[in-house]
Amino acid sequence: MSAGAIPRRDPARVMRLHRLGSLHQCRLSFMRQLTRRMARENWTFSRPVFNIDAHGVGHAVYSAKGPDRTYSLVAFAHDLPADQRSDRVIAQAWDATFTLFDGVPDADDIARLRANVPLQEAGRVTAREISVSRANRSVRLWAHFVEALAAGHQPDPARIDEVGYLMRTTAVYGSGKLGAADREALAGREETQAPFQVEMLSVFLTRAFVRDLVEHMARARGGDAAVRLDPTLARQLGIGNSTGLGMAPYLVNHPVLFNNWIMAREEAIARVRSLPTATAKAVAQVRGLLAEMRAQAQTDPSQHPIQIERNAALAADLSALLAEMEARDMAGDQPWNRLFLWAEQTLSDEGQECLASFMLEPYGDLVDGLGACMADANADAARIDGAMPVATLLDLLQGTYGWALALDWQAHEAQARAWYVSEEKLEPRLGERFDEPIAAYEQPLAPGRDAAALAQALAGWDGTTPVAAFLLKHPEHRHMVRRVQISAHAPYGEIRDNTISAEVLPIDMLRCKLSFFGATRFDPRSDRWVRICMYAGAPYPDGLTDDNADLWVYDQTEAPA
Amino acid sequence: MILSLNEVEAMAKKAARGAGYSWGMAEEAGRATRWLCAQSQPGGAALAALLTRLDPVDMDARAPRSLDDWGAGDAPMCPLLAGASFCDAVTLLPDAPLTMRAVAQPLLLLPFLAQAARQGDTAFSLTFDGVMATTDGQGLDISGNPDAETVDVVITRSSVTCPDTSGTRAEIDAGDWDTLGRFAHRTYAPATEASRRLGAGTDLSDND
Repeated sequence: MSAGAIPRRDPARVMRLHRLGSLHQCRLSFMRQLTRRMARENWTFSRPVFNIDAHGVGHAVYSAKGPDRTYSLVAFAHDLPADQRSDRVIAQAWDATFTLFDGVPDADDIARLRANVPLQEAGRVTAREISVSRANRSVRLWAHFVEALAAGHQPDPARIDEVGYLMRTTAVYGSGKLGAADREALAGREETQAPFQVEMLSVFLTRAFVRDLVEHMARARGGDAAVRLDPTLARQLGIGNSTGLGMAPYLVNHPVLFNNWIMAREEAIARVRSLPTATAKAVAQVRGLLAEMRAQAQTDPSQHPIQIERNAALAADLSALLAEMEARDMAGDQPWNRLFLWAEQTLSDEGQECLASFMLEPYGDLVDGLGACMADANADAARIDGAMPVATLLDLLQGTYGWALALDWQAHEAQARAWYVSEEKLEPRLGERFDEPIAAYEQPLAPGRDAAALAQALAGWDGTTPVAAFLLKHPEHRHMVRRVQISAHAPYGEIRDNTISAEVLPIDMLRCKLSFFGATRFDPRSDRWVRICMYAGAPYPDGLTDDNADLWVYDQTEAPA
Repeated sequence: MILSLNEVEAMAKKAARGAGYSWGMAEEAGRATRWLCAQSQPGGAALAALLTRLDPVDMDARAPRSLDDWGAGDAPMCPLLAGASFCDAVTLLPDAPLTMRAVAQPLLLLPFLAQAARQGDTAFSLTFDGVMATTDGQGLDISGNPDAETVDVVITRSSVTCPDTSGTRAEIDAGDWDTLGRFAHRTYAPATEASRRLGAGTDLSDND
């Protein structure tokens, strides 16, 4: 075998929906980028306000102070009747609502936010706010916690494993939503350069609020008999997230950003595969983490048939992988690459991607710098190059969308679905094109079909004609021409599968995006709805150090040392 | 109303789609309106007026006849279609001043000139009816009242640089915002019980 540099994987292999739906968190995940930064920069945390009554109603403020500025989570706690508890966008009330404030809010700010944040989409915030979010309780686990702590004993760890969190967010809005500051307004700030750092900080602070709130409710009920939550149990708790179709179009609507995420991870994988040798310590670390993952897959409580099957396959894959790592020489001759090639021949997509993510762990020096390349800073990337000859455009199209040109788009099953937005609180939905009156409202989320239509339209044009002249006559293809041109410099920006087929699983798109956040415990609730866990195993703000800022993600099921 | 720029872009894109533009052109409308609002120009009012006038838009009739003939088959010409074509073709066009005939809401051409200016590292001036506007892509220097309905315009290259005048908030008249909202509403499918049940969620309860 040559010891040359291993190239990044072919986008045609990586960008399939099933593989994207098998991704795992890694060193580049946005939560881990944030906790590493906050520990490195010695951020300090405080709780200037905790004004919540015995019924759990009131507000609290959690502040995070970095080297240059302070951000504050303003949390409003509510007393929500069960019949109003829904995780969908169509909900109008929640157990708790939040905003991340740019600075430290004063009493006037709090009064203004109290009149708006609990209303979520029906309220307005300002440029001082940089995210808006809400959360619902896990009803059973919440009741169990309050009951146990009020009675003076700790909750049952097995019950924690079943659910993983006391509250789950049902939306975390950033980037100018509801009047909040645009991402561009934070452009000069180092701490918000990597994607979704604002949202990840909001959730990190939300987790501290939820722990404090459950202890507060237990004290309100149990008085002096109540005890505080054991810190070891508290660390096992994450914040859940319940996500539907609103997230799926994101990957299609942001091809440059999506490319940058995937490309950074692929570059990291290629760098590690290219290493000529591996130390025994590095190999042992990866083996230990894979073994931990196998334990998680075996005890994962998901009830969904797809996930049960995947967990079983992953556990079997990891057993095979661990045995293989023990049996083979892992010291030299590009050991990670040899192992990866074996995995590609032997394991499922899920097993391959788990190895791909986990084998990056010993190599922070090689990998972590790529985190800075994951944002999309080029606002003009969407500009169309109208001077490009039609023949060049068609070549590009055939390169990225060749798979789509091979499909029969006249077949009903190829176009069975349509993505649309309901007038009911603007909820994104996926419907049956041939059974429901939705085609007229279809969103542009089927690049494969649109590429095939564009190829057909281009066929009659002289290859030397500039694209500008083609688009003047065919403005209906403008969206797709833009995508094709973007794909020339963003090879990982496009999902290479049919997003409107009868077989499409939107949860694959959700999982892909959530894995980049750093989410774990994927628990589909249907083919278009998934619950996950964030920050399970992580330190709380007051306990964050360089030693625990990164690998906490592997500490979910056992007590940390 | 004070709005974030993302809100303006999202609304303008949906409104243009609702008025009959293709998705690709609706994206241009979103970005164009956002840029104008960031420059403290009445982008929302201009788009609301344009969509109302051309509704429902016939893109073929309102577009330039060709890259050599900058007038629409059916006047007035749409500034979004003309602006997008100009920006697409900017490296192919002669350096000489270019006249566009009978352009509706010419303010909406400026974002496309700005984009073309950034692309070519140059600046463009737009003149009509006592108005002179120059942009180098980042800044905008404008004199006169640009609130014209239909005018002939002249575009010339320039080498000036403008101070960066872009802001981070948008101000749009509530009436114009409502107008855009009415167009945007056309892109939403009416809710049915079946779509509510099957289209987004799960049959499982969230009270678990």
